[in-house]
Amino acid sequence: MTTTRIDAPLKVTGRARYGSDHNLPGMLYGHVMTSTIANGEIVAMDVAAAQAAPGVVAVYTPFDPLTLRTPTTPMLGDTWVPLQDRTVTHYGQPVAFVVAETYEQARDASALVEVSYDERPARTSLAGNLELAEDAPPGLDGEPSSSVVLAEGVESIEDALASSPVVVGGRYSTPTQNHAAMEPHSAVAHWDADGLTVYSGNQGAFVQQADLAAALEVDPSAVHTVNPFVGGAFGGKGRTSVPAFLAAAASRALGRPVKAALSREQVFTATANRPETLQEITLGADRDGTLIAVRHDSWCSADTDRSFVEPTSATSRVAYRTPNLAVSQKVVPLHIPRTTFMRAPGEAPGSFALESAMDELAVALDMDPIELRLRNGSLGPAGSDLQWSSKYLDDCYRIGAEHFGWSSRTPTGRREGDWLVGMGTATAMFPALRFPTTTEITLQADDTALVSVGGSDPGTGLLTVMALLGAEALDLGPERITPRLGLSAYPPGGMSGGSTATASVGSAIVAAASAVLEELQSLASAPDAPFAGQDVTYADGRVLGGGRSMTFGELLSALGRDTISAIGSAAPGEEMTKHSFSSFGAQFCEVRVHRWTGDVRVSRMLGVFDAGRIVNDQAARSQLKGGMIWGVSAALHEGLEIEDDGRLANGDLAGYLLPVNADIPEIDVQFVQHPDTLHNPVGARGIGEIGVVGMAAAVANAVYNATGVRVRHTPITIEDLLEGLPS
Amino acid sequence: MQSFELTAPTTVDDALAGAGTFLAGGTTLVDLMKLDVLTPRHVQDINAVPLRGIDTTDGLRLGALERMSDVARHPGVYPMISRALLQSASQQLRNMASMGGNLLQRTRCTYFRDVSMPCNRRVPGSGCPARSGAGRMHAVLGTSEACVATHPSDVAVALVALDAQVSLADAAGTRTVPLLDFYRLPGDTPHVENDLRPGELITEIVVPRLDWAANSTYVKVRDRQSYEFALCSAAVALDVRDARVVDARVAVGGVATVPWRLTAVEEALRGAPVTEEAFQEAAGVAAEGATPLSANGFKVPLLRRTVVRALCELTQDEPSGSRG
Repeated sequence: MTTTRIDAPLKVTGRARYGSDHNLPGMLYGHVMTSTIANGEIVAMDVAAAQAAPGVVAVYTPFDPLTLRTPTTPMLGDTWVPLQDRTVTHYGQPVAFVVAETYEQARDASALVEVSYDERPARTSLAGNLELAEDAPPGLDGEPSSSVVLAEGVESIEDALASSPVVVGGRYSTPTQNHAAMEPHSAVAHWDADGLTVYSGNQGAFVQQADLAAALEVDPSAVHTVNPFVGGAFGGKGRTSVPAFLAAAASRALGRPVKAALSREQVFTATANRPETLQEITLGADRDGTLIAVRHDSWCSADTDRSFVEPTSATSRVAYRTPNLAVSQKVVPLHIPRTTFMRAPGEAPGSFALESAMDELAVALDMDPIELRLRNGSLGPAGSDLQWSSKYLDDCYRIGAEHFGWSSRTPTGRREGDWLVGMGTATAMFPALRFPTTTEITLQADDTALVSVGGSDPGTGLLTVMALLGAEALDLGPERITPRLGLSAYPPGGMSGGSTATASVGSAIVAAASAVLEELQSLASAPDAPFAGQDVTYADGRVLGGGRSMTFGELLSALGRDTISAIGSAAPGEEMTKHSFSSFGAQFCEVRVHRWTGDVRVSRMLGVFDAGRIVNDQAARSQLKGGMIWGVSAALHEGLEIEDDGRLANGDLAGYLLPVNADIPEIDVQFVQHPDTLHNPVGARGIGEIGVVGMAAAVANAVYNATGVRVRHTPITIEDLLEGLPS
Repeated sequence: MQSFELTAPTTVDDALAGAGTFLAGGTTLVDLMKLDVLTPRHVQDINAVPLRGIDTTDGLRLGALERMSDVARHPGVYPMISRALLQSASQQLRNMASMGGNLLQRTRCTYFRDVSMPCNRRVPGSGCPARSGAGRMHAVLGTSEACVATHPSDVAVALVALDAQVSLADAAGTRTVPLLDFYRLPGDTPHVENDLRPGELITEIVVPRLDWAANSTYVKVRDRQSYEFALCSAAVALDVRDARVVDARVAVGGVATVPWRLTAVEEALRGAPVTEEAFQEAAGVAAEGATPLSANGFKVPLLRRTVVRALCELTQDEPSGSRG
């Protein structure tokens, strides 16, 4: 099935109203001011000049704060709230909030705030502070962050590696990254008799509702969050943002609506980033390529609250079958901006390291990298008895190799004019997850239906998926379904995170449709109803019985009702005791490296994915392409540079490089479609994140194939390659 | 951004009689005003001043307010100028930015652009964090203890290679200065970036006629393929007869504090055969006097290699590489 996304016309014509597009009568504007040190105490703040500046209504600081409590959720843990204490733990930390009649007045006044710091030395380097490393807590799935699996009779991973005929290893590193969504974190808040209403882009209206209710100490029923459109999230809008907390609290204090938005520079410091990682991997194999031992030790940076772990070593628990495996995961608390989920957290940097190492092993074995991967394919996670529910990775590689012309690859690449040309490949995996979700379906007398959930579509295509799956479950054309997202008033679920939304919402839609159709049929055959006492069935939007049929709208009208509604809920259940679940993919890319200047250009890309059922082919391809572009970006462009004193050297879109169109070639995406109904009734596994997984390694492996230079860090830049180029 | 007074003169005389910072395309000035790096009290929007015109009858005369995009697509412009412009910024910025403003654009040094940091170029004597900080993009040629910031312009590199001159006007009169002399090395006064006097305006850019510059190109090496400043760039023109170089023009960008002419490479190329080996030998002197920082040592070999690449591309019959 392929359908143009429902919200596309609104978005491309500028009619979609994002959070900060809302303007309310009497609205004030808040501007966040951030710290210029990374570690220390704020000794004093002189706000007199700012308070006296034109239009200024209030200046909030840790000395005169807006009261905010720390929200805690089981999944995200604590969410940091601003201005509550005088300790500065990172550069660019919000330290003041100036509210004025206009945005310019608020911004200009904030420049007048004088902050006196008692500055302490900052620790900002991951590699330079490994002695501070702490064991990471267990992952969200409850798995311990470090584990060892050994074959019978093997004493240690070191022994297993020592007895392996072929051993490769290396230290890999990936930098801090920022989601860099087009929409900066922003909010418009106002209070009235019904409580608080907040317009703000986020990954789930019900999540933001809970955060704000906890922070402001009000009942969740008094918090209404509105989030119909989101200008990109990628994990960076899971937690409620600083502007949302401050606008909501200031609006309550001042009795007027307040709008607040971070500047682009502030997005890099006052939200949260993907951690920097260091990874040491050693692979031991037999001469035929069979893995004997895998060791993967990881360190990731963290803020001083250790609010997040980038679980890179987990990649080695699932990717390959090996009799001996040792993984460990540590965190290093530093004076850096906060860290959080970013598209394929763990898998993206973890796969760069592991899939690079696998390429190094293929080189050491003089074996085709695809053959090496297929020989060692995993049946399930290491140490688990639960096998993958459905895995067609071999097909992905076979199809991909054929379409990409992999057989023309040589171990040392080839040359075209002044360009050194190489091909690379890598495996992509991302766990198939879903979260408890409730959906409401309302049948209406005009023969249309509403499908509603409080989740979000930050460009993923969920809104359109809801129409398609709602239509399928109700046996209607999708044009008769109105999908609704982004209000906390809707049932909770469908958060955009963990590549879960299609499986989660789709399963709930199946349940809700079943419930509402049961209710419909029950009403139809009730005494005095059109089908009183008859056995009725439902198909194609019609209730059938006794040789007659009526559309559900006609039936509702006959019953004197405008609508009927039902709630359906779905959550992971018994299937979790039977199988493990993952999506898979084979990434291919071709690069050209200039033999004089070492610039790398990606000239072809292909991803073949086994992600269960694909609900909307067009949007799914876009998702995967977007992920693959993220992989190129990670490989060649992106990286936040944190200076010794904690300042970001490139914390804006001029310095933090993302690829432009000229950097990206045509991208081919293919699917092997095997619906995974062991995982959920819809059969769809997630596709939001898997596209980024493996692609950075595929690029690095292609660069190696082209140049013979192995780069074990990202981004790969010209200086990494110059020395290794032919003169 | 601080409040400022805006006027809009419509003649050169009115502009010169007025006071305040000139605003042309605004792509540098407004950017830096938003960052509070520049805080003019009075801004003169000169876009209505008649400083337009592209005249190719004898060499090239460019009105200072010609937009980069218009000059880039003009058929009579030397290839190295056109290519330098087309590889600058983005189409949207090129549609706005003026040629005169391009020559005066300020460095992209992260410390210059951050008013919370010291910077000798922005606040004389305040210090230079770039030497020990994020130095990858910085210059290896023409640097001083006080400043290592690169000059960001692409087209200025081509113009320096072509011996361009700038016409300058102020209330006292007009004068013409070779562009190469217009730019000042930072020395111990990095805040003095050029020869422009207070209140003086660039009115015209004049490129002397050089027929063999029809055989010229501009190669820009950077971290992404568009909308990014050069790690290294090279503007080269060659006069080739009978497979020998008769004359050459070579200038480089992205590696120096000012657009950098490589007369030593030009000299080495004169009389040389058109071969890769000869180009490599000539480029061997390209980085003479370079003083790299710890983070930008790669710019020394990159500079030589970029010059060779540009010379090779200029002398190859077919451009190589499908996405070159």
